[in-house]
Amino acid sequence: MGVIAMRRRGLYRAVAFLAAAGLVAGACGGSDDSAPADTTEESSEEAEAPAEESAEEPAEEPAVEAGDEAEGDVDTEVIEEETTIEYGGSVSVGLEAEATGLRPWEDSCSSPCYNMMIAVYDKLMEQDATGAYAPYLAESITPNEDFTVWTMTLRGDVTFHNGVELTAQTIADMFPIQQAGAAGSGAVTAANLVSVEATGDLEVTYTLSQGGSAFPASLARAPIGMVFDPAAAAADSEGYSMAPIGTGPFVIDSRDLDNETTFVRNDSYWGTDPDGNALPYLDSISFRPIPDEGTRLDALLSGTVNAMQTLRQGTIRDARAARDDDGADITLWEFQGNNLGGGMYNVLVPPFDDVRVRRGLTHLNSQEQVIEALGGTGISLPATQWFSPDSPWWSEKVAEAWPQFDFEGGVAFLTEYINDPERSDGKAAGEMIDVELSCPPDPTLIASTQVVEQAYTATGLVNVTITNYDQQTHIGIALGGENGFVGSHQQHCWRWSSDDDPAVNLNPALAPPTAEIAEAAGLAGAVSPLNFPNWFSPTAFQAVVAANQTDDFETRYGLYESIMLEFADQVPVYYSGHTATAIGTDTNVLGLNSWHVPSGELGIGFPSAEGRWSEVFIAS
Amino acid sequence: MATTNSSTTPEFPRDRLSNVSSAVAGPTDVAPETTNFLKIVRAMPLRVKMASLWLLLVVFGAIYAKLDTSLFGGALPLQDPNIQTNGFIRETGEFGTGRPIEGMSGSHWLGTDAIARDTFARIVHGSWVSLIVVVVSACCGIMIGGFLGSLVGFVRGRVETIVMATVDVILAFPALVLLLALVSIFEVRNLFVISAVISVLSIPAYTRVARANSLAISSREFVTAARAIGTKPSRILFREIIPNVLPTLLAYTMVAAAYVVVVEGSLSFLGLSVQLPTPTWGNMINQARRDIKINVAQVIWPSLALTVTVLSLNQVGDFFQQRREVRGSNL
Repeated sequence: MGVIAMRRRGLYRAVAFLAAAGLVAGACGGSDDSAPADTTEESSEEAEAPAEESAEEPAEEPAVEAGDEAEGDVDTEVIEEETTIEYGGSVSVGLEAEATGLRPWEDSCSSPCYNMMIAVYDKLMEQDATGAYAPYLAESITPNEDFTVWTMTLRGDVTFHNGVELTAQTIADMFPIQQAGAAGSGAVTAANLVSVEATGDLEVTYTLSQGGSAFPASLARAPIGMVFDPAAAAADSEGYSMAPIGTGPFVIDSRDLDNETTFVRNDSYWGTDPDGNALPYLDSISFRPIPDEGTRLDALLSGTVNAMQTLRQGTIRDARAARDDDGADITLWEFQGNNLGGGMYNVLVPPFDDVRVRRGLTHLNSQEQVIEALGGTGISLPATQWFSPDSPWWSEKVAEAWPQFDFEGGVAFLTEYINDPERSDGKAAGEMIDVELSCPPDPTLIASTQVVEQAYTATGLVNVTITNYDQQTHIGIALGGENGFVGSHQQHCWRWSSDDDPAVNLNPALAPPTAEIAEAAGLAGAVSPLNFPNWFSPTAFQAVVAANQTDDFETRYGLYESIMLEFADQVPVYYSGHTATAIGTDTNVLGLNSWHVPSGELGIGFPSAEGRWSEVFIAS
Repeated sequence: MATTNSSTTPEFPRDRLSNVSSAVAGPTDVAPETTNFLKIVRAMPLRVKMASLWLLLVVFGAIYAKLDTSLFGGALPLQDPNIQTNGFIRETGEFGTGRPIEGMSGSHWLGTDAIARDTFARIVHGSWVSLIVVVVSACCGIMIGGFLGSLVGFVRGRVETIVMATVDVILAFPALVLLLALVSIFEVRNLFVISAVISVLSIPAYTRVARANSLAISSREFVTAARAIGTKPSRILFREIIPNVLPTLLAYTMVAAAYVVVVEGSLSFLGLSVQLPTPTWGNMINQARRDIKINVAQVIWPSLALTVTVLSLNQVGDFFQQRREVRGSNL
């Protein structure tokens, strides 16, 4: 293996919640001092579990500014260190599932799939460590005044794995395929993208039907942003999934479905590290689907694989225990971004059409207890909005406004509704309300569901039925294609937000859910099937549209804050905690946290356990 | 010398019919003294005695738990299986002091699960689901399957062909797959639905067992004699066939029950049995497997309960089947 001694800037995760660090955090957190009712006779227990603070005293939490690290946040600071880069070697990555496919325009991917795709494809844009969008395969991108036309210049001298040169026409030719693709069509619609033209050898012009200041975010997502060879894709779409062709750092070598997919080094890769060294460092990388969480972790611990991903707090907890208590030689690259767990109420279905019920049930949601049931104590932060405390979009005002656990407060709201002779569910005054609480049948989610169920049942006001449907059915019920996208769900587990620009998630979530509602609001045609709670607020929708038409951060911040405040007031959705994810590796697998965008800035890291593998290397 | 008029069918006194049957030595009458409970117990090997004791404990625990919740409102000394000991206590306005995935202690004999519920209480309450499913499936199996099998084994002909072909088709289909398909039809899965579905799938096996026995018994002398004296077929079926098929079915019930417990456990493990938060051994195993690295005991306790129960049912079932075979061979 070739060795290059160099200075690198690394974003190193200190893996914050070692037991000792937990003690320090608990001591510094302020909760022990400020919550005397919770500390009696339990001080030693609380010291062992510092994040198990009661959620009853939100006002006494220390103020956190947007962008700061918060107590309990697993993210770590950027540090400078001397590292020796070494070429060669192979990494085998255990994934939580097989990729649904490797065609960015067609296959709806989640985290495992992206890990593989990012090895073979490059994106036009990428997020840097600050969350800003930086050109990647693009060299630059500029909007017109009203953000309806975006002109992008591509990087030159980039070729696909099959030797075909990347030009502006390539991007233009990709567009019809993306428009027709199962994954691409939705993304094209959401981005209001109406045409893509090659206006020069390397210049591409994107035209949107309405202003979109966050359009670069769409180019950092797989369906529109990942670059593929359109001629090869048109010639054999099905075959492309088995033999993908991109411009990325690795070339497909073999694909054995449900067993192993191997990529080898792309010797003609265009990318270099900040010191000008050719990328990638590894000779090859392979991905193996290992669906069972415990088995995947065991595979890492036993050396069957030398990297694994997880999106489960319980697995992170077990991996930490293996490392800290059993001395396993592993590194945990943890990431806690904006993505958060929780659920939603279908506001078109009684009794959830009444805000008193939504508020009452939300007050009964003990986030700390739910997080504990998820195995995330000391790992996940309770969420109050679609942004984590270290996001620039996070708002303290929203955090204070979010309805915290308040049993009697919740009972009061529910009682008011139940005793209302005009109650919306058609039952007689005084009768209990019926709630169907549905989650996929994952043991972790089952545990958290039962925590919520017990709180509801304890009021004596709510009849709870717990249902568990497989993931596909669960989503289908909420999507409700058969009943005009209203869905038949009541209270439904769901995930919200991501580390993308807020517009990416909020635009579709706030548009009118049905044609009738859209027409009533004078927004005919602006229907979104992705408004799963079916909650429509003209003010929130106007805010999200306005935020999409300006690139002034302060203005956008204010608009998104207003939306989050309306969420806190109307509670169409509720939250548990931010999702902690991790990639575990052997200790000699380095570089996951220190990849760069071409400008030399550090990349975002590994959100949702999606690694970027071009700058990964194996230290001897 | 008295002669008999051969042109007329001999009138056999109705009140002597049962005597004729008995005289031909129907299996039920071979050793009436073995119905003595103490003699049966004494005849049991130690392992069968222990298995029986465990089964009695399970039945007692299930009934006790049910009485506790439905009749005594939780006043009996057994913790509420659904109470999270770290949950909010309305009376005090504070959260409980329990902890999840706790080890064994005086207050929680078998520890607590992932959401701080008492594992012992959940195992005891979980036995109720198993018990009900076993009892209902056995009753349905014996009543419907037993009757069908006895009937077709006795009447034979086209009815037998149709019924047994249907049974063969159902038995040829992978049981668990069929079960999953049936269960998935129901949106609300309560104990009644689960018991009914498992019972439906139990019927073919009972039918086959009953039919095999019915065939054998139908060719016995006492049945032939009953036919010969002109006894109505329905009377033969109910008085001669079914009573003699029944002991075999009862012995088979214990073995079938073991299978039913496993099937219900599998459904629970897959999240397709009774709805949460009702405890079952299967859903306890499923929910505890996430934390297996932290506290393996939470997987072991319900697994042990399931395993020992199945083992016990097999032991007891085998014992009674062997007794039945011995008695049969004595004929």
